Amino acid sequence: MKFAHMADCHVGSWRDPKLSWVSTEAFCRAIDFSIEKNVDFVLIAGDLFNNSVPGIDKIKIVAKKFRELRDKGIPVYVIAGSHDFSPTGKTMLDVLESADLMTNVTKGEVAGEKLKLKFTIDKKTGAKITGILGRRNMLERSYYESLDRESLEKEDGFKIFMFHMGINEFKPKNLQEVDCSSINILPKGFDYYAGGHVHTVMNQDVKGYGKIVYPGPLFPNSFHELEELNHGGFFIYEDGKTEFIPMKIFDTIHISIDCSGKIPDKIQQEAVDKINEAEIQHKIVTLRLSGKISHGKVSDIDLRGIVNLLYEKKAYFVMRNTSKLEAEGFEEIKIQHSSVEEIEEGLVKEHLGQVKIENVDINAEKKLIAGMMDMLSAEKNEGERVMDFEKRIREGVDRLIGE
Amino acid sequence: MIKGQVIGGEIGKIVVRQKSDTEIELGELLIADTENGSKILFQCYDLLYGSQLSQQTLELVSGMKLEEDTDLDFMEPQLRNYSLAYLKPLLLIKENKASLCKSLPKFFSEIKELKKEDLKFITKPENAIYLGKMRSGSKRLDMDVMLKGDDIFSHHVLISGTTGRGKSVLVSNIIWNSLSQDYCGMLVLDPHDEYYGRNKLGMKDHPNKSKVVYYTSKNPPAGAKTLKINLKSIKPSHFSGVLELSDPQVHALYTYYKQYGEKWVESIILDKPIDVPGFHEGTIAVARRKLITTLDVRLKEGRLVCEGIFDYQAGESTIGDITRELQNGKVVIVDTSNFSGSVELLIGSMIASEAFKKYKHYNMEGTLKGKPVISIVLEEAPRVLGKEILERGQNIFSTIAREGRKFKVGLLAITQLPSLIPRDILANMNTKIILGIEMAQERQAIIESASQDLSDDNRNIASLDKGEAIVTSTFSRFATPIAIPFFDEEVKEYLAKNPAKKVKKDFAGINFN
Repeated sequence: MKFAHMADCHVGSWRDPKLSWVSTEAFCRAIDFSIEKNVDFVLIAGDLFNNSVPGIDKIKIVAKKFRELRDKGIPVYVIAGSHDFSPTGKTMLDVLESADLMTNVTKGEVAGEKLKLKFTIDKKTGAKITGILGRRNMLERSYYESLDRESLEKEDGFKIFMFHMGINEFKPKNLQEVDCSSINILPKGFDYYAGGHVHTVMNQDVKGYGKIVYPGPLFPNSFHELEELNHGGFFIYEDGKTEFIPMKIFDTIHISIDCSGKIPDKIQQEAVDKINEAEIQHKIVTLRLSGKISHGKVSDIDLRGIVNLLYEKKAYFVMRNTSKLEAEGFEEIKIQHSSVEEIEEGLVKEHLGQVKIENVDINAEKKLIAGMMDMLSAEKNEGERVMDFEKRIREGVDRLIGE
Repeated sequence: MIKGQVIGGEIGKIVVRQKSDTEIELGELLIADTENGSKILFQCYDLLYGSQLSQQTLELVSGMKLEEDTDLDFMEPQLRNYSLAYLKPLLLIKENKASLCKSLPKFFSEIKELKKEDLKFITKPENAIYLGKMRSGSKRLDMDVMLKGDDIFSHHVLISGTTGRGKSVLVSNIIWNSLSQDYCGMLVLDPHDEYYGRNKLGMKDHPNKSKVVYYTSKNPPAGAKTLKINLKSIKPSHFSGVLELSDPQVHALYTYYKQYGEKWVESIILDKPIDVPGFHEGTIAVARRKLITTLDVRLKEGRLVCEGIFDYQAGESTIGDITRELQNGKVVIVDTSNFSGSVELLIGSMIASEAFKKYKHYNMEGTLKGKPVISIVLEEAPRVLGKEILERGQNIFSTIAREGRKFKVGLLAITQLPSLIPRDILANMNTKIILGIEMAQERQAIIESASQDLSDDNRNIASLDKGEAIVTSTFSRFATPIAIPFFDEEVKEYLAKNPAKKVKKDFAGINFN
């Protein structure tokens, strides 16, 4: 049995067209590579798209690649992730599934209080695949709490569990603030646990479980990730062995300057020296300036000039980060959270309990806010009438409040 | 009901003759009205016999009854033989305000049974933690004893009593009560795995169970977390008070830490060289052996194999996660029943150090005010706070005991042997909950360090039955006798009053077709 395991493709991410192209290209090449390696099937463990209703051009590319896979007889098994899930259940994944281009394996039934998951059986290999989607703010945790584990654990054969959440026990230190669940939340006895959500690469055999694998993103999704990971990748599993396949579209180079106690001219010169020493051509460059400069203002550093120099040296793309750069006399701005989700979560946490709602404790309030944010961030579907859209949102909100 | 009359004594030692058809008990709370409309609250601390007859006469009468089987009796016996009670004034109550009593009650003042309305001056504080029912002697009053939780937790609590007197029940009640509020995060190092309630009623049954985080290394139930701690999280200072190490061994650990950074444990176990000369080979070998045994790791073909909770791959964020959970007001229960005492203390030391460091930082940046108090529940506290241990050097727990209150980090120390804890640390424990203690030496240690004057309460403490306690605190007006409720009964009653809400389950995104 041979299969590819990808996650966090985030097709449609990056506002800048050049990086957006790289992100999409990484996805295309990963599919091409899987076809070339003649895998039996492809797993995508959440966040195929960067949002639930991506742009037409991106859908077109993904549909084309999935059709290529289908033409080669390679099925694609997918779960929704926190980015491409929609609380109304209407995501572009549904469209792709309706077109028979992929299978969403999150299938089940409710038996009493329990959620009983159904397996999707891969025709060629007999692999039994199931999983649970990922939602924002870990709202899928209640799915796991209601899970009928026994039926899943009793099932024989080669079993794959797809999930889209972080696991506390394996969470790296730099993701400390990310909300994760304990490994115990997963049903036991699967052969392969195809993880997504946490943008880190991990492949471990865990006693009582099996192989727990996170391929990380196909292409880094932020400045910090570019610095940490350089590039993305995915895993190919073949008869018990896993191999990480890096997806290197462009090399990356990181230029970091500690500006503490230095004057702007000196910083400028240091940057120029570093650029002149490095091989820049056709690379993605991250430029990080940090520390408290000794004289003048931050704007005295000719950042534009530094960036232009990098482009003169034929850099593919230059990203700069000055969030930790400050000048004497200026108050430090504390940035405790790096992603939008973390900032949202931080703000929610800060303001919890300010408005007393009868019979709603802090935890229920947090859950309610997460659900409301999730619900109210839904966008109008193409062709959907304003009235229907409003009705859909109103019903969703009613359902949330009714809980 | 009148129970007696003041017949003499002095300040702090009022002698009362007991009315013949009533009974005054040791520890009983009594009340007397004064002429100006105020009341004095007393507590009985000793009882003895009184008689109008001489001892010789009493002995003679007894001899006649015993030896000659006569049915001889006294005329009006209630007037001739009686009981005397020694009372100490606790408070002067005037218009629902209490102050210290600085005068004597009038001669022949009537001493009455305490009624609920006499205690109107006791109000429910903000962030109240319920400790039990007010007790008068062995009688349970319908009056809740509550203290201001954030104050008592940050200023440390000591729970002391002999085995079987109800320490665990009391701690269970305290944890259960703290779950209903958000002012406090609690770290519970649980060497008997009794608080979560794996197979019985416990914190997992609380309606607010999302506030409970349970870490265990053995068959974690659904919702629990597997305890894995990365070796990189350990610092040499965490072993202070935990592992018996000689000075050269400690220096060796710090040298490795300095040279190899967070990979120092791995490096010392893999016998990597250090640049600093002068260490005896044996010193490093012994330190290595102690680390290997404590951390349950071994070497296999030159590679590190981790067999216990400490791991070189997993658990990188565990200590940080626990600290974050504590500062989010959660109750973190760490099941340490599978570990040796030193491993339990090492884990506690790591978490306590991190939490303390964080709170010190918040204090420095001025954001501490909005954070919940962190309380660390420490069983058999003399293991880290004992005189002998501290003579070898300070550890994080002694630091917290001395400085923690400034940074909203407190200890909830439990012990049978308070005398092993140094006086200055005992004095820093501003709330003490005293259960029955048989050993005079232990009683003395607690009496000497109590927040209220308990010098007359030696017998009272010795006579405390199972489930009875005295709370002495700088945050209470007097040393309050309490009856500790049974945890199971309390929980059942609570759950009956606060049934879990039926939550409609939402499985959006699952295909049910």
